[in-house]
Amino acid sequence: MVAPPDLRGRQHPDRLFTLLGKLIAILEWLASGSYIRRPQARPVDRDLQLVVDEVRVEAADARSFRLVAANGAELPRWQPGSHLEVLLPSGRRRHYSLCGDPADRRCYRIAVRRLADGGGGSQELHDSVGPGSILTIRGPRNAFPYAPPFVPAAGYLFLAGGIGITPVLPMVKQAAADGAPWQLIYTGRSQASMPFLEELSALDPDRIQIRPYDQHGFPAGAQLLEQAPPGATVYCCGPAPMIASVRQAFPASAAAALQFERFTAPPVVDGEPFEIALQRSGRVLTVPAEVSALEVVRQAVPGVPYSCQQGFCGTCRTRVLSGEVDHRDRVLTDQERADTMTICVSRSRGGRIVVDL
Amino acid sequence: MLRRRNAPVHRTVDNLVLTPRDVDFDWASLPTHWVPGEPFVTHTINVLHLLLPAGERWFVDVFTQALPYINDDKLREEVLGFIGQETIHARSHQGVLDHWKAKGIDTDPYVRQIDWMFFKALGDRDLISKRREEWLIERLAIIAAIEHITAMLGNWALNSPALDAAGADPTMLDLLRWHGAEEVEHRAVAFDLFTHLDGRYLRRIRGMTVTWPIMLWLWVRGVVFLMRTDPELTGLRKKARWRYYFRASRRHLLPPANEIVRGVLRYHRPRYHPLKEFSTGQAVAYLASSSAANAAAV
Repeated sequence: MVAPPDLRGRQHPDRLFTLLGKLIAILEWLASGSYIRRPQARPVDRDLQLVVDEVRVEAADARSFRLVAANGAELPRWQPGSHLEVLLPSGRRRHYSLCGDPADRRCYRIAVRRLADGGGGSQELHDSVGPGSILTIRGPRNAFPYAPPFVPAAGYLFLAGGIGITPVLPMVKQAAADGAPWQLIYTGRSQASMPFLEELSALDPDRIQIRPYDQHGFPAGAQLLEQAPPGATVYCCGPAPMIASVRQAFPASAAAALQFERFTAPPVVDGEPFEIALQRSGRVLTVPAEVSALEVVRQAVPGVPYSCQQGFCGTCRTRVLSGEVDHRDRVLTDQERADTMTICVSRSRGGRIVVDL
Repeated sequence: MLRRRNAPVHRTVDNLVLTPRDVDFDWASLPTHWVPGEPFVTHTINVLHLLLPAGERWFVDVFTQALPYINDDKLREEVLGFIGQETIHARSHQGVLDHWKAKGIDTDPYVRQIDWMFFKALGDRDLISKRREEWLIERLAIIAAIEHITAMLGNWALNSPALDAAGADPTMLDLLRWHGAEEVEHRAVAFDLFTHLDGRYLRRIRGMTVTWPIMLWLWVRGVVFLMRTDPELTGLRKKARWRYYFRASRRHLLPPANEIVRGVLRYHRPRYHPLKEFSTGQAVAYLASSSAANAAAV
């Protein structure tokens, strides 16, 4: 291990770096003895078993579920924007935003729209979960933080689309309690399909606009952001096209900050099923049309690295041994694409892909 | 709870989900002295661009190797979020180095040494079983120590209105604050990972004991190197001096030495935890307003 040349371009190894290399070698030697009495990494179980206490119909196809601990104990605290991961009896896992009162430490409330063409999670909750059912949950976690300054700032514009009202509802109530200058624009297919209208009617009606598509059309981002006062912070939650449209229009608006729920894995668009073969473990897996290769590979190789799940960070870049790849990332260079792929978004052009995993 | 001189300005956020943000920085119009008339301040902060691309790639390498040892799903998710954020940080600072190179400012001699330190001296060695694991954990202790310092610097960057008042380049300020805010946001991950896999006090302190002197030495060396390489400085103005630092820190253009020393000492408290200091709320509020994060492709 020869140290690099010094900073003045002379070719002999830099003396201070030679010394640094020796110090680090001593550190490694010291570390080699640290296995003695090192505590083992203990498995951490974060599952909570909660009882469904009450189910309410909130709109035509939306229900809310109140969850409590069986012994009535206090639940972990949370702030607006947080969600729970719900493990359903069938083994499905779904994320639902908390829409109750953060100050009520003994219950959580989630609301779920029944999606006829979803993955079946919402149907299962609607059809087979009722008062007395037990659900396993993990969390709360927050991917949509509402962290306003204690002294209210320029203004808050809340944009909610359909069931996207769930994380926004506690934010709006908090802003109202803080006496902050806020506005809510709430969109949805039709008035009958929009949950929590009654709860919202308890707040200042001058600050709330209810805009169902059947009367106002699907809202464009620019149109929604027109209402933002200069310097405002915008909080947006709704269907993916609504968030995309608001993000696109944001830089040209008067608002200063935009907070939206960071979904890590966006839905797969135009996916075809294909086979992925893992060379090192000798397994062949089938990737369904609506699932990413990463999702499938993760089940087989639990330690596989990944991060953004959107094809921009490059963490999941994997060597491709054979097969035609449909590259859908925005990070790899052409040279890198020649023999690697990001398994979080990229797929096959047809036929099997063999990767070095 | 630690006593803080400055009460938090923002509400707290617990259990934040960490995900990388895609960003877009355009350096085409970056002046050499991006804090106008302050070459020393400019270059002291510029040392970040020399250390971070290699350093953060090394974090990612070491953290990726640690993934199979993690026995906690929540921690694993946080580590994965951390890895993505650090990857984007490394790439963004690399962008500044590439911009300098295109302008004819050659930082290769210094960067070569940093690469050597991270990927040779601190890199993977030919080790097996236990010894390999211990070298991994030792490096995690070093990363936890570095992350304490970067969170401290990130928090300073988020609260440095003097740089705006001095007319600093807004794109560079956004890079520093976006990066600083993500450092504050993920400040507990490296510490929690080390605690999960080992956690012994003396080992944690050993990590800090080797980290801060090397970091300080590299920083001083980096400033001297950049001042000497700067094509717009001539004669005596190429010399870096300690008194420049104290003058600049008194004007709040650089983090004051006493704050850094106190911060490093706090790490030595047996009950230290990163979430006891700095404000996640302030960090996420900044991130929501960062032009680079809002400009990236949707």
